[in-house]
Amino acid sequence: MLGYYLRLALASFKRNPGLTALMVFAIALGISVCTITLSSYRAAARNPAGDRSGILFAPSIDSWDPDRAYEEYDKTLAPTMLTYRDAKALYASRIPDRKLIMYKSGGIYTRADKGMDPTYFTTRMTTADFFAMFDVPFLYGGPWDAGADEGPQPVVVLSKESNQKAFGGVNSVGRTLHWQDREFRVVGVLNDWDPTPKYFDVSNGAFNDMEGAYVPFAWGPILELGSHGNTNCWKTEVIENFQAFLNSECIWFAAWFELRTAEKQRAFRDFLDNYVVEQKKHGRFPRPLNNYLYDVDGWLKRNRVVESDNKAMLTLAFAFLAVCLVNTVGLLLAKFLNAASASGIRRALGASRRDIFWQHLTESGVVALAGGVMGALLGFAGIWALRAWYGRFVPEAPKVLPFEAANLLIVVAIAVGAGIVAGLYPAWRIGRAAPSSYLKAQ
Amino acid sequence: MEIRPILSALLRNRAGAILVALQIAITLAIVVNAVFLTQQRVTKIGRPTGLDDQNIFSFWMTTYEKDYDFLGMVREDMALIRQMPGVVDATPIFQVPLSGSGNSSLFYSLPEKKGENSPANIYPTDEHGVKSLGVTLSAGAPFDANAIEYRKEQSQDYPPTAIVSQGLAKALFKDQPALGKTIYDDQSHPLRIVGVIQHMHGSWVGWDKVDRTILIPRVGPGPSTQYLIRTPPGDLDRVMTAVDTALRKRDPNRVVGEMHKMSDMKRSSYAGDSLMAVTLSTVTGLVLVFSALGIFGLATFNVNNRTRQIGTRRAVGARRRDIVRYFMVENWLVTTAGVVVGCGLALSAGFWLSNQYQMPRLDLYYLVGGVIGLWAVGQFAAWQPSLRAAKVSPAMATRNV
Repeated sequence: MLGYYLRLALASFKRNPGLTALMVFAIALGISVCTITLSSYRAAARNPAGDRSGILFAPSIDSWDPDRAYEEYDKTLAPTMLTYRDAKALYASRIPDRKLIMYKSGGIYTRADKGMDPTYFTTRMTTADFFAMFDVPFLYGGPWDAGADEGPQPVVVLSKESNQKAFGGVNSVGRTLHWQDREFRVVGVLNDWDPTPKYFDVSNGAFNDMEGAYVPFAWGPILELGSHGNTNCWKTEVIENFQAFLNSECIWFAAWFELRTAEKQRAFRDFLDNYVVEQKKHGRFPRPLNNYLYDVDGWLKRNRVVESDNKAMLTLAFAFLAVCLVNTVGLLLAKFLNAASASGIRRALGASRRDIFWQHLTESGVVALAGGVMGALLGFAGIWALRAWYGRFVPEAPKVLPFEAANLLIVVAIAVGAGIVAGLYPAWRIGRAAPSSYLKAQ
Repeated sequence: MEIRPILSALLRNRAGAILVALQIAITLAIVVNAVFLTQQRVTKIGRPTGLDDQNIFSFWMTTYEKDYDFLGMVREDMALIRQMPGVVDATPIFQVPLSGSGNSSLFYSLPEKKGENSPANIYPTDEHGVKSLGVTLSAGAPFDANAIEYRKEQSQDYPPTAIVSQGLAKALFKDQPALGKTIYDDQSHPLRIVGVIQHMHGSWVGWDKVDRTILIPRVGPGPSTQYLIRTPPGDLDRVMTAVDTALRKRDPNRVVGEMHKMSDMKRSSYAGDSLMAVTLSTVTGLVLVFSALGIFGLATFNVNNRTRQIGTRRAVGARRRDIVRYFMVENWLVTTAGVVVGCGLALSAGFWLSNQYQMPRLDLYYLVGGVIGLWAVGQFAAWQPSLRAAKVSPAMATRNV
C-alpha cells in the first residue's frame, strides 16, 4: 500500500510543483535554523565523562567573604575553586578511591641541546591520579607514579602537540626538557585528547585548549609558580611572598575525587562538613556551613557551561520551526482541498476514509522528509559559514559548532515527526468529507 | 461596514483562517522578542570603547633565563619599537583591554575601606600608556617619565599615582572633579589621581562595570609582560611584521608571543553577542517572510474558491473597489485576531525569557511596533490577491466552475 501512496504523492507533487517546493522549503528553513542552534546547544550540553560521570566528584566549600556571596546571581552557591590549604587538606583524605588536586600554570620550555625554539606551554600542575581519573590516553610511556608526587621528582607528561613541537613527534620518553631552570624528564606523551567541554576545568571557558604539559603538583610551591588561570581573593591580607600567598584566602586550586560507592560519597560529604566545622574553630570559613559535592553533570550545570544564550536561541529556533509548521499545515490543507475531487473519486470507487487519511499522511511525511534532509544540509552549510566567519577570531569555533552525524539524524527525525503532526489535521479533514461533496462543483 | 458577511464567510473556512492567525500570533511573539534582544546586543557591540581599537596590536613578551635583565629588556625594546616608522606609540602593559583577560581590585574614596568603593580593571603601564591606548584625557596629564616605577620584586602595594577612567571617578566621587583627589586600595595605600580618562573600556566586555579602569605607573617585575603598539590607520599589518622581525633580531633569548590585533580581540570578546544578533535577525527576517507567504496563500485560496461569489457580488452592483476592500478587511480581521493572541504570547515569552535567562524585560514599545508592523505585512501580502479578486468578471456569476 505504501508504494501506491508514494506514487500518488509523487503524482500530487507533479500537479503542484510550486506549492510542494514551498512546503519543502518552509520545513527546510525551520530545520536548518534548528540544526545550527541544536548543534551549538548539544556541544555545550555534552558530558564527555561518560559512565565515569557519576563517580567523579568536585567539592565546592564556602570559604568566601562573610559580607558577600560568591555568586551575585545565586547567593546560595559556594566558590568553585579552593585555597591552597583547603586543597591540601581535602587531598589528604583517605576516603576516595582516587584523588587529585591541580591548577594551571605555564612557562617557557627549552631543550639543553637547543633542538627546539623556546616555546610557551600551558602546564597543568597536578597529581598522579589525574590521568587514570580522566581516562587520559597515552601514545608513549605513561603517567608518573605516586612516588613522583611526594619527592617531587622532575618529571613531565607532554601532550601530543607539545611532543611534536619539542621532539618532532618521536617517542621522547626518557629525554629531558628544560623548564624553570631545571631538567624535567619526559615520562609520557599523550595521544589526541580533547574532551569537549573541558569538563575537568571549565574555569577559563568550557572550550579552552588542553594544556601542553603536566607536571607534579608539588613543584608549584617549590618553584613558586603562580596561576595562569583564575585567582580570586576577598580578604584584606598582607601578601609579601609566595608562601603568604599560598596561606592566604585566595582561591585558585581545583580538586576531584573518585568515590565509587554511595557509602564513600556519603562519608566524603560528612568529611567536607567536618573539615569546615573544624576550620571554623580556627576562625576561618566565616559564612554559614554551605558545602557541595558535584558529580560531573552537576559540576557542568553549576558552572553554567550551557549559557542562557544557548537556551534562548534553541527556544527561538523551535518557535520558528513552529511557525514554519503552521504555515505547512495551511499549505497542505489548501493543496489537499484543491485536489479534493481526486479523493472524492477514490472514495466513490471504494477507498475507505482511513485509506484517504493514510494516503495524505504519507504525502505529508514525504514532504517533511525532503524538507528535513534539505534543512539538515542547509543547516550544515550554515554551520560551515558561521565557522568561517567566526573562526577567524574565535579559535574554538569548531568545538562550539561541531559537525555531528547524530545532529543530522535528530533534525531529520524532528522534521519527519513534525511533518506528520502537520499532516494530521489536513489528512483527517480530507478523509472525513463525504465523497459526493467533492464530486460537485465549488 | 460590511463586517458581518465577511465574518460569516471566514467562519465557513475556519481552519485556514485560524492557521494564519496562529502563525501571525507566534510570529509576533518571536519578532518582538527577537528584535528587542537583537537591539540590545547591537547596541552593546557598537558602544564606544574609548580606545583606538582598530589601530592597536599587542603580544606577550616572555623571558625564561635566570637573572635575565627583564627591565632593561623592556626599556631597550621600547626604544627600538618607538623609533620604527609607522609606530604612533608603544607601551609595556600587563593586561590588554577588550581581551577577556584582566585583573581587578577594589578601590575606596577614603582610607580604612571607608567611603564609596568600586572595583576597577587595573593596567600597569608606563608614560606612553595613554597615547598608545589612544584614550583621551578629560583632565590632568599622562604619567611623567620619572613617575614610572620599574619594579624588580613582586610586591603588593601600588605606586603613589594613578590615572582613572571617568567611570571609576564617578563611582567614587559622584560628580565632583576627581583630579588631584586620592583613592585607596583595600590596605589603605593612597593613590593620587593625576589624570582622568574621558572613557575607557576594560578587559571583560560582559561586565556591567567595564568602563571602570585605572592605569598604574609601573613596569615589571617580569618574567613576562605584554607590549601594546598603536599605528596610524592602515599600517597595522605592516608594522606587526616589522616589529616581530626587529624584536627577534635584537635578542633571540626570549619568546615573542603571537601578535593579536585589538580589533580581533574585540570581535572575539563580542562573538557570543554577534552570533546571537545574527541568529536573531535572520530568524526575524525569515519568520516575517513566512507570515507574509501564509497570508498571501490564504487570500489566494479564498479568492480562487470564491470566484462565483465575487462574480455574483459584482453582478448585483459591487464595484471593484468594494471587492478589494472586502478582501483587505477580511485579512485585516485575521491578522488582528492573530495579533491579539500574539500580544499575549509575546508578553509571556518576554516575561519567561527575562525570568529564566536573566535578560532585561521586554520594552512595550517593541510590542506596539510589532503590532503595527504585522498589520502592514498582512495588508501588503493581501494586496495582490485582492486586486486579482477585483478583476473577476461579473459574468462568472452565471458560470459553473
